[in-house]
Amino acid sequence: MSQTREFDEPRRLGSGIVLAVAGCAVGLLALFLTARRGLTEWPFAIVFGLLIAVGEMVQFRVDSIRNRAPIATSAALGYVMLRGPALHTPPEVAQIVAVAGVATLAGLFPRAIAGLPWDLVISSRRVLSVACAAITFVLVTPDNLAWNGSWTHAMALTGAMLLGVLSAGVVDALVGAGQDTEKFNRPFPAALRDELVVMTRIGLAMGISGMLLAAGTSLIGLWAVPLVVVPLLLTQFAFRRFASAQRTYRTTVRSMARSTEIAGFSSPGQNARTATLAVAIGNDLGLTPARMEALEYAALLSGVGQLALADPSPGGASLLRTREERQRAAEIGASVIERSGVLDHVAEIVRHSNDPYRHGRANNADIPVESGIVNVALAYEQLVGEGSGQSPDKAMESIGLGIGAEYDPVVVESLRRIVGRGFRF
Amino acid sequence: VALVATCALVVLAVSLTKISFGFTALALSVLMLVGGALRFRVLPNHPAALDSVALVAVFVIAGPWYAVAVSVFGYVAQLRQPSPIVKRIFNPSYRVLAAGGGGLAYAAVDGPVGSEVLHHIPLTVLAAVVGTVGHQLTNALLVSLILWLEGQVRVIDFVRSVILPTFFPMLGYSALGVLLAVTWIGGLNIVACLLVVVPLIVARWAMSQYQAERAAQAAAMRAFIQIIETKDLYTRGHSERVSIGVGMLGRHLRLPDDRQQALEHAGLLHDVGKVGVPTSIIRKPGKLDDTEMDAIRLHPARGVELIGNIPFLEEVKSAVLHHHEKYDGTGYPAGLSGDHIPYFARMIGIVDAFDSLTSTRSYRPARGVDETIAILIQDKTTHFDPELVEAFVEVIRTKGWTAAAVNQPVPDGSLQIIDHDDLSLGSSGGASGSAAGPA
Repeated sequence: MSQTREFDEPRRLGSGIVLAVAGCAVGLLALFLTARRGLTEWPFAIVFGLLIAVGEMVQFRVDSIRNRAPIATSAALGYVMLRGPALHTPPEVAQIVAVAGVATLAGLFPRAIAGLPWDLVISSRRVLSVACAAITFVLVTPDNLAWNGSWTHAMALTGAMLLGVLSAGVVDALVGAGQDTEKFNRPFPAALRDELVVMTRIGLAMGISGMLLAAGTSLIGLWAVPLVVVPLLLTQFAFRRFASAQRTYRTTVRSMARSTEIAGFSSPGQNARTATLAVAIGNDLGLTPARMEALEYAALLSGVGQLALADPSPGGASLLRTREERQRAAEIGASVIERSGVLDHVAEIVRHSNDPYRHGRANNADIPVESGIVNVALAYEQLVGEGSGQSPDKAMESIGLGIGAEYDPVVVESLRRIVGRGFRF
Repeated sequence: VALVATCALVVLAVSLTKISFGFTALALSVLMLVGGALRFRVLPNHPAALDSVALVAVFVIAGPWYAVAVSVFGYVAQLRQPSPIVKRIFNPSYRVLAAGGGGLAYAAVDGPVGSEVLHHIPLTVLAAVVGTVGHQLTNALLVSLILWLEGQVRVIDFVRSVILPTFFPMLGYSALGVLLAVTWIGGLNIVACLLVVVPLIVARWAMSQYQAERAAQAAAMRAFIQIIETKDLYTRGHSERVSIGVGMLGRHLRLPDDRQQALEHAGLLHDVGKVGVPTSIIRKPGKLDDTEMDAIRLHPARGVELIGNIPFLEEVKSAVLHHHEKYDGTGYPAGLSGDHIPYFARMIGIVDAFDSLTSTRSYRPARGVDETIAILIQDKTTHFDPELVEAFVEVIRTKGWTAAAVNQPVPDGSLQIIDHDDLSLGSSGGASGSAAGPA
């Protein structure tokens, strides 16, 4: 998935502004209420606020996870669910939101000054979902429930914490899915499904860490904070390493794709353009993140098989070649990709990427729809991309002639929608 | 092993007399079982379990004696894997002894046990740290001992590559053990496991994903190199062999891990720019004219252009760019000489030439290793860094060399395809050499 585009685009999205405004409004309201009532149990408020701010400061990027500050999220959720015996008065909802909001801003501020990437929308999303968790937790937890060592109280508290964490997760997934639909034109159900999958993995881990933090702090006071934070930092370090390895891997695949340009088999940027279009179609059809990744790689690497052919075709237009030659190149490319042992699904897509629909997917359900997407993306790019310069309408017309015979009707329909929305390379 | 096993049995027997069997013992056993089942790999062949986290929790909940008694269960999860009988005895034994070591340390600082923990938090944390250190040290000592007896792996290497990098993370994660104990005592009992296991699983997932991504990248690069080598039947496997060769040389010179890896990547990718050289030139029979030679001379720069975006160490890129420089300054593209040539490029230059000479070419059969070493030594002041040549020759003499497979196409006297790496040819082959051997 092209998470990078999400990142590079300026924050001009309608829902983003709504979210940021809502986050700020809720935060200000909470701040106002707290200021009137006064802060209770201020050492806890300060320590957890500090933790949220630090977590926000050390945020990082992992492609498949939108929330980039797991420590801040865990700390905020932990603060939501504090109880006795360590605390005599548990924090109120307004105070929780105020602490989370102020701390988030305090954490973002140094990043903004240092020129590091930051995103007010994502941080606002956290404040909003923390508010949801706080409301849920307070509603289901009677005031006299505390960690007094009895099994019944402990279990009841754990259940309530789980409910609070789940409500935060579900709200965040709904908001995230809405944003995805808006940005990438993904169908809402597909976007929601992906968000919920992410929530049950990373989201649940952040929630459980928050629960651990809350339970520990309620029992032994602020001693629990370093006990949770040290492992969390270690885990975050492991994630950072993983994220950088993932980035290295992705740039390696992209560089491999550029080899066809250096060898003169394709024009500069051709692979990247094809991949952008394929990703847009995949988003429109609502593929899962794993399939989107394979689709992007397949679109990037669909040309590597040509390296084994004798001489480059002029301008890299493989439409000009005979079908046998193109299928042979696809077969070679697929077998090479297969040999790497980790991109099997990508190899499968590339193998069938030059099969005409009539001989391929129409009769063989085993051929993935991604092959049809790559096929159409390649064709459209060659008609419209740099150098050939047809108008999108004209290109759509000539692709429409091949519908059902050459191209998968579902994919062409999707392409029509995308071009209709104003897609340009 | 027998000694370790006997000691373990004795300790275990004593501990069994000190504890009472009941629900607590059962629950703790389950805890250890879970801890033992959560395994991850530090290195491909050194699995490490997160049972030390569970062990710390047992220290705090029920005291060292229980820890020793239930530590055997940490091994149960491994029973599914087939392993020799000696290991089957040793593995649970050293676990028991390591738990005993940790228990001694925990008791030595008067670590509180059970419900009194909630009133002595600082002392508990201290005792847990000391207990973990004791456990880890005993563990490391016993494993090092057994490795020393087996004599296959050098103990120093083991300590450096496995013990040191895992020590502090283990210590950090043992904090979770303390929390587990606290919430357990605070009323959650065995349910506390669920709270702690999820963060541990996530940590394990991140670590294993790191390895997976690295492996994926390596596989992708190898596959990529193979496509490029399809252009020329004679150079198949060349990049892979150069990578192995510089890897051997790098280990001999004791490079740190990250540079060693960068060196192997550079060896693998050094000819990647050949993808930009037209196939007609690479496969051309006969001597190349000046323009064709220029096309070949471009390949290091092409290679850097291609891999420029990949976040490798800077050394990888400079090595790819300069691997055809010669020590006397007559190489390309920059004509660097002596120590101005990047270190990795000098290493790759040697192995590159060595592999080329020991492989079959269309115009000559492969040379023997000894003959090639003689050529390298003869050229060591003109083409190569003399010290590195000596090091490489020593590596080859002690470790041996697996030359290119012999089922390559038979050399054909009528053909004259020139390998640009081939030292045994005159300037037309790219590497001008004084060592035109009798082919």
